[in-house]
Amino acid sequence: MLTLAIPSKGRLKDNCNAWFAERGLVLEQTVGARGYRASFAGFPDIEVMLLSAGEIASSLLTGDIHLGITGEDLLREEAPELTGRMHLIKGLGFGFADVVVAVSRYWIDVSTMADLDDVCAGYAHRHRRRLRVATKYAQLTRSFFAQARIADYRIVPSAGATEGAPAAGTAEVIVDITTTGATLRDNGLKVLEDGVILKSQAQLAASITADWDASSRAACEKLLAQLKEAPAWTALAAQLPA
Amino acid sequence: MPAFPYYNTQAIAALNDQAVALLKLFAERGYVREEPSMLQPAEIFLDRSGEEIRRRTFTLMDPSGRELALRPDLTIPICREAVLSKRSFPARVSYNGLVFRHQPGEPQRPTQFFQAGVELLGLEDRAAGEREILSLVIAALRAAGLKDFSLRIGDVALFGALVDSLSLPKQWRWRLKRHFWRAGYVENLIQWLAQGGSHKAPTRAELEAALDSETEAPSAGRSRDEIIARALDRGAEAAALHLDPKVSSAIIKLLDISAPADRAMLEIRALLKTAGIQLEAQLAAMDARLAALKSLGVEPGQVQFAAHFGRNMEYYTGLVFELWARDREGPVQIAGGGRYDTLLETLGAKQPVSAIGCAIRTERVLAVKGAA
Repeated sequence: MLTLAIPSKGRLKDNCNAWFAERGLVLEQTVGARGYRASFAGFPDIEVMLLSAGEIASSLLTGDIHLGITGEDLLREEAPELTGRMHLIKGLGFGFADVVVAVSRYWIDVSTMADLDDVCAGYAHRHRRRLRVATKYAQLTRSFFAQARIADYRIVPSAGATEGAPAAGTAEVIVDITTTGATLRDNGLKVLEDGVILKSQAQLAASITADWDASSRAACEKLLAQLKEAPAWTALAAQLPA
Repeated sequence: MPAFPYYNTQAIAALNDQAVALLKLFAERGYVREEPSMLQPAEIFLDRSGEEIRRRTFTLMDPSGRELALRPDLTIPICREAVLSKRSFPARVSYNGLVFRHQPGEPQRPTQFFQAGVELLGLEDRAAGEREILSLVIAALRAAGLKDFSLRIGDVALFGALVDSLSLPKQWRWRLKRHFWRAGYVENLIQWLAQGGSHKAPTRAELEAALDSETEAPSAGRSRDEIIARALDRGAEAAALHLDPKVSSAIIKLLDISAPADRAMLEIRALLKTAGIQLEAQLAAMDARLAALKSLGVEPGQVQFAAHFGRNMEYYTGLVFELWARDREGPVQIAGGGRYDTLLETLGAKQPVSAIGCAIRTERVLAVKGAA
C-alpha cells in the first residue's frame, strides 16, 4: 500500500484535485472516513490522506507517508537538509509564493541585505539588544541570514499575521511568505532587493525514510507512469534504501 | 569521546584529581572558584552571540514556555554575574564544570565536556593581564603533567588597527572589523573595495521628502534622525570608497600568514612597510607577549602565529590563543582563550571593563597523558 497525502482544504486542495484530474486520476472520498481519506479510481493500492499542509511536511520527514503534496517553503523549513530524508519529485506549477525578508518602507536607507547587516549591528550596538525578526520560518531565516553574514539578530516565532509585527512593535523585521506583495504593501513594508529566500510552489515530494516495501514501490511506479513522470521513479528509486 | 560520555570509577577519580590540582593552582594565584547553574535563560547567550550560537547550543522550553539553554560556556554566565552583583575590579574568578555543545555535522563528538578555566576582569594593565593568563595556563598544563604542547597565537586588535589605518569611511572600517572572524568574507570585501564600490549620494532634503512620503509605514524601532544620519553617512562614504590595490594585496597576504611567530613578525613588518602602514604599537604588544612566553620557557619558534586566527567566537577583541597537544588520534586543542574587552559592557556594565580568560579541556588533557 502506498500512502499519498494531499492538502485537506483551500485553494491548494482544489488545485491538487484539478491537477490529478487533468492526468486522468479522479479522487473518490472513502465512505465513513469523515472526509479525511480518499482513493483514486482504478488504483486500489494507493491510499490518499487529506491532511493540513504543515502535517504533510512533517509526515514526510518522519516517514509516516510515502508521498505528499505541499508547499516547498514548508518542506524546506521542516528539513533544512533534504538529502537522505526527502526527495522533491516535481514542482506542480501552482501554489506559487516567495519567502522574503521585508522591512518597513520608512527605512529608506535600507534596500539590501548588506544594509540590513549594518542596521542589525548598529541596533545591537545602540540598544544593547538584538534586532528582532518575526517569522514562522526560523530555519530558512537562520540559514539565509548566515549566508548573508548577518549574526546580530534574534528570531521571534510568529504563528500568524507576521506582517503586523513591525507596526505592533513586536519585531523590527519580518520573514514571511508573499504572493502578490499586496499584504506587505498594506502594512507599510517592502521586500529587500536581494531578500528573496525561496521561490516556492507546490511540490510532489517523497519521503526517503518511509517504509518502502515491494507493494508501495510498485504502486508508486504505476502512479508516476500515470502522471507521465516515469523518469521520476528511476530518480526516486535510486535514493531509496535497497 | 562518544557523543554521550559515560564516566566510570577510574575516569571520575582521574578527573577529580586533576580538577583538585588545577583549582589549587588557580587559588594560589588569587582566583576564587565560582559556578553558575548549568541551565540558564537562553537570551543570555542569544542576546550576546546572536542566532548563530543556536547551531551549537542546546535550547529547551520550560513548562511555562520560557526558553532555556544548557550553558555552552561558563564565561558569559560568570561575567554576567560580575556585572549584576556590581563586583569590584580587578576580579579573578576560576571555575571547573561541564559545558554543553552541539557539534553541527559531527554527531560522534561529545555533547558535553569539562572545562577548567579562569577569568581576569577589570585589570587596567592589559599587558600584565596577558602575561598573567599565559603564565597561568602554561603552569596549569604543566601542573596537570603535560610536557609537550604547542601554542597558536593571534591578535584580533592587530587587524582592527590595520583597518583603522586605512583611508576608508567609518562604516566600512567597522564592517571589516565586525566580520574579521569570518574567514574568506573579509578578503572578498577588501578585494571589492580595491575595485571601487559605488553609491549615489542623496541630499538631506531628498531624504526628508522620502521619509515624509512614508508616514504610514511603521518606524520599526528606528528614529527619523537615525535613518537620515545613516543615509547621509553612506552617501558621504561613496566618494571615499577606494583602496589602493597595493594596500589591499598586502592586507590579504597578511591575513594569510601562519608561521612560527619569530618569522611571522618579520613577514608582517615587511608587508606593512610595502603598504606604507604603521602599526608599531600592536606589533610591540605582540613582541612583548612572545618575550613573556620565552621567559616561561616557550621559544618563539614553538609558537605559531596565525593572522586570521579563525576562532569561531565573535566576542574576542585582542589576543587569542590556543594550546595543542597530541592524543592517540592526532593533534587536539587542549586549551584556549583570549581577550574580550567588550563582553561585560554588552552584558550591562556601565563602563568598559577589560577582560581576559582561558579554559582548559581537562578530559583531553587526560587523553593526551594517556597516549604519552
